[in-house]
Amino acid sequence: MSTISTTQAISDSALDKPRTGTWDGGNEPFKASYGKLMMWFFLLSDAFTFAAFLTTYGLIRHRHGVYEGTPEAFKFSTNYWPIPEKVFDAFPGLHGTHLPLGFVALMTMILIFSSVTMVLAVEAGHRFDKKDVQKWLLWTILFGATFLSCQAWEWTHFITGTEEGTLMNDGTVFHGANLAMNQYGPVLFADLFFFITGFHGTHVFSGVCLLVWAFIATTNGTFEKRGHYEMVEKIGLYWHFVDLVWVFVFTFFYLV
Amino acid sequence: MAQHATHDTVPTGEIPKPNTAWIWKTFWIISAITALEFVIAYLMSAGTFRNSIFIILTIFKAFFIVAEFMHLKHETKGLIWSILIPMALLIWLLVALITEGSYIGEAVQNLIN
Repeated sequence: MSTISTTQAISDSALDKPRTGTWDGGNEPFKASYGKLMMWFFLLSDAFTFAAFLTTYGLIRHRHGVYEGTPEAFKFSTNYWPIPEKVFDAFPGLHGTHLPLGFVALMTMILIFSSVTMVLAVEAGHRFDKKDVQKWLLWTILFGATFLSCQAWEWTHFITGTEEGTLMNDGTVFHGANLAMNQYGPVLFADLFFFITGFHGTHVFSGVCLLVWAFIATTNGTFEKRGHYEMVEKIGLYWHFVDLVWVFVFTFFYLV
Repeated sequence: MAQHATHDTVPTGEIPKPNTAWIWKTFWIISAITALEFVIAYLMSAGTFRNSIFIILTIFKAFFIVAEFMHLKHETKGLIWSILIPMALLIWLLVALITEGSYIGEAVQNLIN
């Protein structure tokens, strides 16, 4: 009996009062909650992964030959790295029109928009406006799903290739791309395209899943009962990071 | 500013008015930079100069996303530096390995010839 009451006394003194000391969990390092801090450091590690991918792209691109002629006379060849705007110039429904980077511009705008609706959801969470949180989360899910669909189209087009194809070194004409062969340039060009945009797309997909979960939790009133919408904020951090990565992928894969 | 409050208090009834002007301002800045990138991609011929402009504009965009949307600008100095200093090391990695790539290319070329 006496042991129970002792335990009771310890738990009363240790758990029921808010902790205030420096070393007993009473203070928040960097004045940020544990969850947000962990999200920041996870994103830092994820940034390393993406940076490694893009650095690899830089190394492999510089290791390959450069196209020397004029942009107008450019033809696909496995001997040099392709000019990105010659590869990514198609738009759904506008077959045969040369629209350099037109579709990727649309995808970029969709992702920027989804970032805006995400901040709006976080802002609504600060005001405990459940309806607004739901509305903006739904918009973000919609834009995220649209981006993924665009990427699916982009991949399909990249894999299928153009009607003309490219005359390969072995004398055959090859259309589209796979991991071992592609019509656009050196083998590694298509490999890097699949790995980098694929890894980014996986992140967008995970983000959409998290957003759907957050929407359900908001609807059920989970965050309201908890007294804060911090979970929406943490998912928001992740979502903006995915947008941030796209900004870099866009520059290093499509523009330069 | 209300949107920068670290701790919220559960309101008793009235929902405060949204404060979204700063979000839209950031959106317009990022969109304008993206539009500028496309104008440059169409009008300027490719080269090191154009690439440097692209990289500088990308860093501008990254700044607005991280500072405003991800709120890092309004966190403590300690958190800002713990994120930025490790990222700065990546610049070295990028420069070193791209240079290395050119050398590998040259070596392979010499081997073929």
